[in-house]
Amino acid sequence: MELIAPPHWRCVDFISDLHLDAQTPLTLTALRRYLQSTPAQAVCVLGDLFEVWIGDDALGGDGCFEAKVTDQFYQASKRLDVFIMCGNRDFLMGQGLMAACGAQRLEDPSVLAAGTQRWLLTHGDTLCLADTDYLAFRQQVRGEPWQTEFLAQTLVQRQVAARALRAQSEAKKQQHAQSHMQWIDLDSPACLAALAHAEANHMVHGHTHQPAQHDLGGGHTRWVLSDWDLHATPPRAQVLRLLIDTGTIERVDLVTTAPGP
Amino acid sequence: MSNPKVELHIADYGVITVELDQENAPLSTANFLQYVSDGHYDNTIFHRVIPGFMVQGGGMEPGMGQKKTAKPIENEATNGLKNAPYTLAMARTSDPHSATAQFFINVADNAFLNHTATSSQGWGYAVFGKVIGGEDLVDKIKIVETGRKGFHDDVPKVDIVISKAVAI
Repeated sequence: MELIAPPHWRCVDFISDLHLDAQTPLTLTALRRYLQSTPAQAVCVLGDLFEVWIGDDALGGDGCFEAKVTDQFYQASKRLDVFIMCGNRDFLMGQGLMAACGAQRLEDPSVLAAGTQRWLLTHGDTLCLADTDYLAFRQQVRGEPWQTEFLAQTLVQRQVAARALRAQSEAKKQQHAQSHMQWIDLDSPACLAALAHAEANHMVHGHTHQPAQHDLGGGHTRWVLSDWDLHATPPRAQVLRLLIDTGTIERVDLVTTAPGP
Repeated sequence: MSNPKVELHIADYGVITVELDQENAPLSTANFLQYVSDGHYDNTIFHRVIPGFMVQGGGMEPGMGQKKTAKPIENEATNGLKNAPYTLAMARTSDPHSATAQFFINVADNAFLNHTATSSQGWGYAVFGKVIGGEDLVDKIKIVETGRKGFHDDVPKVDIVISKAVAI
């Protein structure tokens, strides 16, 4: 998918990995504050906006957590363009959710053509080639048969399944931390190949929660987004902001030093 | 010896009485009492109100001017007191040992604020007292209408002013 920046866009924001759920009210507050105040003309969410998404019928009534999220984006969409990409946790986000957010779905990968530059946008999970277990799982759950079968279950059944998956993932994370295993990063040759295919020099992605700027050589760069967790100490929330006129990116830290819990 | 108690006189609301846990949180208790006796909390507001979470105050004047504070204190979150509803805890920045004057009243079971480890990630927020009178006022404050003011979010649209804080 190719996204061409219209002339009135001066800056485009990228965020990802907010992992929102009902237990993250502070992160949700930070999102609201951010969406109300960003100077960008477009906001691109590059995956894992939600901790988990079990289907658009999870969109509840007014006041529920999901409605609070969609309402924030919907309000923002009145003054800026919102694009949302699925991540490895919220890949079941559908048109219902996009409509509720006033957002356009961003395919993974996509290319943003802005000014004289082309930017490859991806969540990043498909380029973590060493994560073979996950990639096998991904292939299964992104297929039509699995999704049809999963979405045919009742909402409650899917909530139970999501909880089990999350517990598994937490256990794996713990195990990972205890064994001091190296976290799996994106594969550089695969990134360069993806950039070549997209005819882009730069890429922006999330997924790894390892904010950085990597020089891939030959004028290619890889920008990594931070995750958002306002409940962590210290709290984390960053935006990568592309200034189209200069073709530069700045990292904006949304966490202020005001006291609070 | 009975625990120290402080009355927070809230203009147009009434009096919230807090009891300080001198035994389990001696530093935070002494710190709070010092600010009370200095008159620091007089004419400060509850400037950050999030229903389902907490109400925070003790550092801003009406108009959101920040008051000068004394030096930060050591974080006593290791004392085992939990961030349960109607408990009083110290606000701080991302540095665990940065609390000065601002405090908050939990209005939910905020277990994620409790101490879990002596790392910057796990320090948590030091509980040093609890509301023993005027819980209904806390319930009224936590649901007031809020908005954005300058760089601050969740600021009550109508000031909720601590007219005076009195040790009893």
